[in-house]
Amino acid sequence: MTINKRKKPTSVNPIKIGQSLGAVLAMQGCYRAMPIVHGSQGCSAFSKALLTRHFREPIAVQTSALQEMDVIFDANRNLEEALNTVLSKHRPDIIGIIGTELTDVAGVDYQSMLKSYKRERNMRGGLAFSVTLPDFRGSLESGFSSTVEAMIDEMIQQVGPRGSRNVNTRQITLLPGSFLTPGDVMELKEIISAFGFEVIAVPDISTSLSGHLLTGFSPLTRGGVPLDSMLQSLQSGLTIAIGGSMERPARRLHNALGTPYKVFQGAMGLKAADELLHFLHQISGESVPLRYCWQRENLLDSMLDAHFQFAGMSTLIALEPDHLYSVSQWLEELGVEQKALITSYETPVVVEMEREIWIGDLDDAEFLGKGADLWIGNSHGISGAERIDAAFMPAGFPVWNELGAYMSTSVGYRGAMEWTNKAGNLLMQREARHRESSIRHR
Amino acid sequence: MEPIRKDEIDAQECGSVTPKSKPCPRPKPGEAAGGCSFDGAQITLLPIMDAAHLVHGPIACAGNSWESRGTLTSGPSLSQYGFATDLNDTDIIFGGEKKLRDSINYIAERFAPPAIFVYATCVTALIGEDMDAVCKEAAERLAIPVIPVNSPGFVGSKNLGNRLAGEALLQYVIGTGEPEREIPLGVNLIGEYNIAGEMWDIEKLMNSAGITLMSRITGDARYKEITWAHRAKVNMVVCSRALLGLAKEMESRYNIPYFEGSFYGAKETTYSLRQMAFLMNDREMERRVDRLTEREESRLIQDLRPYRKLLKGKKAVLYTGGVKSWSIISALKELGVQVVGVGTNKSTEDDVRRIADRVGDDTEYIPEGGASRIIKTVRERKADIMIAGGRNMYVAMKEQIPFIDINQERHKAYAGYEGLLRLAKELTYSLANPIWKLAASPAPWDKEDPYDH
Ligand code: SF4
Repeated sequence: MTINKRKKPTSVNPIKIGQSLGAVLAMQGCYRAMPIVHGSQGCSAFSKALLTRHFREPIAVQTSALQEMDVIFDANRNLEEALNTVLSKHRPDIIGIIGTELTDVAGVDYQSMLKSYKRERNMRGGLAFSVTLPDFRGSLESGFSSTVEAMIDEMIQQVGPRGSRNVNTRQITLLPGSFLTPGDVMELKEIISAFGFEVIAVPDISTSLSGHLLTGFSPLTRGGVPLDSMLQSLQSGLTIAIGGSMERPARRLHNALGTPYKVFQGAMGLKAADELLHFLHQISGESVPLRYCWQRENLLDSMLDAHFQFAGMSTLIALEPDHLYSVSQWLEELGVEQKALITSYETPVVVEMEREIWIGDLDDAEFLGKGADLWIGNSHGISGAERIDAAFMPAGFPVWNELGAYMSTSVGYRGAMEWTNKAGNLLMQREARHRESSIRHR
Repeated sequence: MEPIRKDEIDAQECGSVTPKSKPCPRPKPGEAAGGCSFDGAQITLLPIMDAAHLVHGPIACAGNSWESRGTLTSGPSLSQYGFATDLNDTDIIFGGEKKLRDSINYIAERFAPPAIFVYATCVTALIGEDMDAVCKEAAERLAIPVIPVNSPGFVGSKNLGNRLAGEALLQYVIGTGEPEREIPLGVNLIGEYNIAGEMWDIEKLMNSAGITLMSRITGDARYKEITWAHRAKVNMVVCSRALLGLAKEMESRYNIPYFEGSFYGAKETTYSLRQMAFLMNDREMERRVDRLTEREESRLIQDLRPYRKLLKGKKAVLYTGGVKSWSIISALKELGVQVVGVGTNKSTEDDVRRIADRVGDDTEYIPEGGASRIIKTVRERKADIMIAGGRNMYVAMKEQIPFIDINQERHKAYAGYEGLLRLAKELTYSLANPIWKLAASPAPWDKEDPYDH
């Protein structure tokens, strides 16, 4: 409804994460892929370090390692060298060139360079695409969805016109938004396939970043959706996009191939899960599997158990736009006051929310959320939450103060229950702490 | 701005000030690893805990890196705030100098820090922002030091950034203040960043020997103490090739003798403490140090006994940069751990010489990065454990190789006598963990034998 910004010249304790990191994340969900960040080495090193810290997994990424003079004179010479090295050393199936603020400001044309590179080497059988993601626009979320869009574009170009399609109506393409954990993607895939569909997630971090020892270390991504499945996904009868940011790639598939799509903006809470399952029930004609009926009961019961705990409580949420929307919908069902909602940048989804949204940083969160009982956001919020004496619930990216955060599930009935219990427990512990200290100070 | 003294840098070896034959290697596109010079500059300066650190550029340089370091504070925490000018499209086109000026004012007014460090990044360097002028003007107007750190990422490696940060300290900070009260003059520690609290362990030892720690450069430092670093009687450069230049320059400017040392391992620790007392030229202090080190060493020998028994003959591959590559070898040797492979990609010729003094002839040198190369050495040399930086931790986990984190993100302090004991314990725990066996055995249904009743 209203989008606000506090007037201050400086970002203090930013929640915004560079777009290029979102691109690197998206590519981790594709098998045998290698993102090449076209910029100085620091940009890819920071992304790698931060993603490693969150997922506790090795992260595949390379860089064109621009130095000052390269930027000024011939940045594409570095890119060519990087491509040569990566191709000859690792033979990836998928390569994504990620343009940064540096190549943007310097006006480097790597798109045409990539085209002629592919032509000259007669590159077939793989997928190589580029995407422009300067950090002074958007955030992690937009970097992620733009990359998926660019990947889809490239695939559509490769397979050619829509006439040659062989649509499989039992197959669904799932486009999971950047805020979903590997655990979430796995849960969504399970839910969809429980209605008798084959589902291909693009990208699929549930098989790469969920943690497995099936292969040893590889400099390329160690899991994710393989290229042939990705190409096969173009034959799907339907696209399901989770999160408003994934609407654009879904629309791309629709415009080019005529694939109908359905966007679920929210993924969390009873209503969101109801909507998803009801939809799947209707399009499949299958009845809702018993286990989800049970999970729905479990969720309602856990919400009843927890509602005492949530009475009179208030929260602040500091998350990426789509995630903020989802979490806010879920909190609404718990009857908790939403004292402050802070996000990294403006998107249609947050503009349309019937709440006051702040584009800002964690310092704004501290200021606006003073008095909140629960702080929901990434691990950078730990000290802020401490300063305003709120219980801290890690969510979003990056989370480093909790093991297994990347597997925590928030979607479906099960996810809503997990989160409801987690939030309730945190509030309970905080209450106990307060009680203790008030006794001590009597 | 005249940000990058590139010719000067090219003529010298990355990091150290002495010209050497080997020029700074250009990072290789497609196989480069490691952070940028901006990262390096922050590693050196962020441990100045009460100062504000403002990153001038688009969001990612700060947004993707703040709160990522293991350096600890005993008090003020302003340095843990992530400040960024967060430039957007329009700022890039019309210039971000106004935003920078406003940001400096805002921080000065709201947080009243003793100083503000302002970091250039690639984009602000590229569009030619005159950071020096903005900082100078702001410093005069606000009457606090506002220090430009011209180390944008694309000038080079992390090491170079360490060094450029050292130069900023020389140019703007050291020599601008005096100790508040009469304190016995003592030693500066240069290049010790209080990762996991190592500075505190070292400080405790120095206190016990009656050696004053003058300025911490920069682990858990307060801005003020660095301003009077020029009053110290001795500089110790701790495990840092990059800040050697700082010590050399202080020797020529202020006549402060320096030495290079390390606190990894009992031998190095004892040597470092003795060297301090020797250069302080204080007989009484030397005697105190002797008593202290003897006492600590003999206690350590006792404490280490059970661990040495378990660690004896174990083989390790060590992959870390510069000085640490040889100082950790000494520490491991004292525990009876044999280093069968050692990374030398970030080491200078001098470091390599010292590595050679410490390892056997058949130790493999791993010249170039790349996790696959390290793993190969681990496998071929049948190493029991890998000791490296956090970036390689999950590489080791996927290969099911026991691992100890030794770089700046780590959570364990390994300096001094207590640190060596801690290292021994960590190695033992890691090797003895049941997970290695469990992960190596297949699921029951994958075993050959069919089930029979
Ligand atoms: S390389 Fe440049 S743009 Fe990238 S993080 Fe470092 S300073 Fe920032």
